[in-house]
Amino acid sequence: MSATQLIVIDTPPYGDWRGREALDMALSLAAFDRPVALLFRGEGVNWLRPGQEGSAISQKTVSRNLGAARMFGVAEVYADSLALERFAVNGPDPEAEAVVPNAAFYGDFSQVVQL
Amino acid sequence: MSETAVSAVPGYTIVITGAPYVSQAPATAFAFCRALLDSGHVVDRVFLYGDGVALASALNTPPSDETNWTDRWQELLVANGIPAIACIASALRRGLLNEQEAHRYERVAANLTGGFTIAGLGEWVEAVATSDRVIYFHGGA
Repeated sequence: MSATQLIVIDTPPYGDWRGREALDMALSLAAFDRPVALLFRGEGVNWLRPGQEGSAISQKTVSRNLGAARMFGVAEVYADSLALERFAVNGPDPEAEAVVPNAAFYGDFSQVVQL
Repeated sequence: MSETAVSAVPGYTIVITGAPYVSQAPATAFAFCRALLDSGHVVDRVFLYGDGVALASALNTPPSDETNWTDRWQELLVANGIPAIACIASALRRGLLNEQEAHRYERVAANLTGGFTIAGLGEWVEAVATSDRVIYFHGGA
């Protein structure tokens, strides 16, 4: 088991603030040089959908916040391969590695945090 | 064999992300915290995040036949000298301000109750780095 914390985002990018606040947790860990990984699963894979335009509903385009993750030092970004298929999220962020989040996957992390 | 200085009792950080009167999170966290203290454990800090910051509002006014979770938590924190922090980003978004932030953003009032302070997510990162256990109490969907 690594010392890496896994932050899970399973809520859609709009209509729910939990994903944004979970991303803030990941960015804070990275900013303080703590090992952190992100996993998008369920409706959360929509964070990776291309062509988002949040201004149409007077909101920030959250995929841009996600773009900052690498800059802040979030080294690992994963997405549930089945959820990508279910929500037809094609051409996800190429930096997000498609995985099957099973017990072995979660067991690799020191703690899993999901808001 | 040399002895290593290790604290005999594990220190806990309690993270509450569910609001009172919307979720069970602050009430369950309270019972858990009470049980820890009764068992001689150490609670390093309480961290309010997301909707959980609503717990620290001095304006929460439940009917008299319901528990005032803000008051209960405040009593527990003060009596046991436990630091409690509300995340500043979560707090400001949801209208929870201390005097300093009310002044900074030119708002008409501050409403952070006693026993709580407002600070950044760095406090949570510190908890992850230093507490033996970090336990989360969420509000659910």
